[in-house]
Amino acid sequence: MAIAKAERLMNLALCLLGTRRPLSKRELRESIEAYVEAFGPAPGAAFGPGRSALSGPPAGSEDSFNRMFERDKDDLRELGLVIETVENLDGEVGYLARRDSNRLPPVRLDAEEAAALGLAAKVWQQARLAGAASGALQKLRAAGLPEDVDPYEAHGALEPRIPVHEAAFEPLMLACRDRRPVVFEYRKATAAHPAPRHVEPWALECWRGHWYLAGWDRDREAERVFRLSRITGKVRSRAGKFRAEVPDVVTVRETVASWAGEKADRTALIRLRKGAGYPLRAKAVGARELDEDWDELEIPYGHGLDAWLVEFGPDVVVVEPAELRADVVDRLRAVAKG
Amino acid sequence: MAANAIDQTRRMLSLVTYLRERPGARVADVARAFGISQDELISDLDVLPLCGTSFRGGDLLDIDTDGERIWWHNPDDVAEPLRLAADEATALLVAARAVSTLPGLRESDRLALLRATAKLEEAAGEAAGASSRLSVTFESEGGVFADVDRAISERRRLWIRYYSPARDQLTEREIDPIRLVSVGHTYVEAWCRRSEARRTFRLDRVAEIKVLDEPSAPPEVELRDLSAGLVQPAAEDPEVVVEVGPGGRWVAEYYPHDSAEELPDGGLRITLRTPEPASLRRLALRLGRDGHIVSPQDLADSARRAAREALAAYEEQAPEAGAAPADGPAR
Repeated sequence: MAIAKAERLMNLALCLLGTRRPLSKRELRESIEAYVEAFGPAPGAAFGPGRSALSGPPAGSEDSFNRMFERDKDDLRELGLVIETVENLDGEVGYLARRDSNRLPPVRLDAEEAAALGLAAKVWQQARLAGAASGALQKLRAAGLPEDVDPYEAHGALEPRIPVHEAAFEPLMLACRDRRPVVFEYRKATAAHPAPRHVEPWALECWRGHWYLAGWDRDREAERVFRLSRITGKVRSRAGKFRAEVPDVVTVRETVASWAGEKADRTALIRLRKGAGYPLRAKAVGARELDEDWDELEIPYGHGLDAWLVEFGPDVVVVEPAELRADVVDRLRAVAKG
Repeated sequence: MAANAIDQTRRMLSLVTYLRERPGARVADVARAFGISQDELISDLDVLPLCGTSFRGGDLLDIDTDGERIWWHNPDDVAEPLRLAADEATALLVAARAVSTLPGLRESDRLALLRATAKLEEAAGEAAGASSRLSVTFESEGGVFADVDRAISERRRLWIRYYSPARDQLTEREIDPIRLVSVGHTYVEAWCRRSEARRTFRLDRVAEIKVLDEPSAPPEVELRDLSAGLVQPAAEDPEVVVEVGPGGRWVAEYYPHDSAEELPDGGLRITLRTPEPASLRRLALRLGRDGHIVSPQDLADSARRAAREALAAYEEQAPEAGAAPADGPAR
């Protein structure tokens, strides 16, 4: 059976961390059993356990070893290892992970702080971030994070969860992290078909359980906010750097709130049947009783109010403005016709 | 799977550091400290003796276990606590910041979290930078949250006035809270004394709340795994079919559904299940010309009736200047 990847990675990590001088690719290949097993001894190696140098590695194994070695280094960097590449006087490249650049600076957390972080580490419902969060906690544990408090005990019943259902999340998170331009197919809320969008991704934000991306739309040459659930197909990376400057503060929430009609700058007057429409009452800026069946409410008038009011059917009548009244009547007619 | 090998390697590196300081550590304690099962820990312990700085030199990690305790016979300083990777710092910092914004979080917990976040930012150094590119806001009603949280920790019953959008009604009920869950919105899962069943209540729909003196006594219920979403329609729930145009595609984003077939006009034919089809009348009204209920027929009829009744109120009043005539074209 091939040697498990985790064992191979662990050995590579320990070799790189344990050495004081840079190790050449060849030395690493000879030191790590998984490489020897898969690819045979390095070319020209005069020794090899139980193998004659004459039998040699299978053809093409040099390339496959190089590919695996590069991937393994990338994987170790992914989990935080700083691996230096050093060229010696003979032009040979060597690798090492210096102790001082890989050591966690001292961090002292008390039991309360540790419990709070324990709770935070559990909120991700996305495999990569959940793994990264527990990995972070494990590194802190190894560095002496107190462990006598069970986070659930300490925090009673609170169970916050960050939902991530959108497939586009992970590639976009990496693109934001590495500042890589991307292209994806995006279907606008009301468009029948998706269209390609070229975007420099800045930041992702989760609001009310949905994920949004803010970034620079290269075709429109403007800042745009995208809802991840409307991205269809794959997110693909593009070569090259960002062209537009990344702002210090990216405000996804404000843009989304204005889509949701929460940036109302005027008010509307409606009649509401008694006992009905609690959420409208909760939002009202003014209210008075009209008669024994009806109240009159003044409510903020933002984008989408017409659609919301129609939900209440015969329990709501718009008084003014006329424009809202016409929109509501229009919608009701469409439903009445069926 | 590749991601698992990375997770396992990261964990084993921390494990080595951790074990060095704790000769004879108990398997159960270590598994708990690392947030993994004992089986996972044992499989890590199977791999570690195969690892070392050189397989030929014989300096493999001599770590073994009798299933109860763990011993490392040749401990060396190969693994010091490792710095945090960018993803690790991001995952923990973003989550910590999000949790610290939860309204109603106990003040002592919030302060502990903020202190921890600051220390973590410092320890992570540059790796913390990318965490500003991800953020999460939990929404919930602060006062309601605090009362529910208190009721849970003091094991007391709650009285609530709760808004049901399906019926556009406020109902009063007594509930025995079990836990608070934040998935976008914040919910309390509770045993509802009125319906004698487990119910989930969204905090922003609680119009009024009181912590009662009576003790809370929810029956032992198995906690559901909520990772698939809070709303999990049952197979026996009635089926509703909705057809929407391009402007109504959002329905598929907001309503958990069994299927959503593409229609030639860019719309969707969505099939979903709900214990209470009548609750979708609101949806039918909201959709307007962007969609309609295909079945059941009585649901489609009730939406039409409601719309006609609503229109009648406008026709009773003299149409205002500029308003469209009652029999005008639909567009």
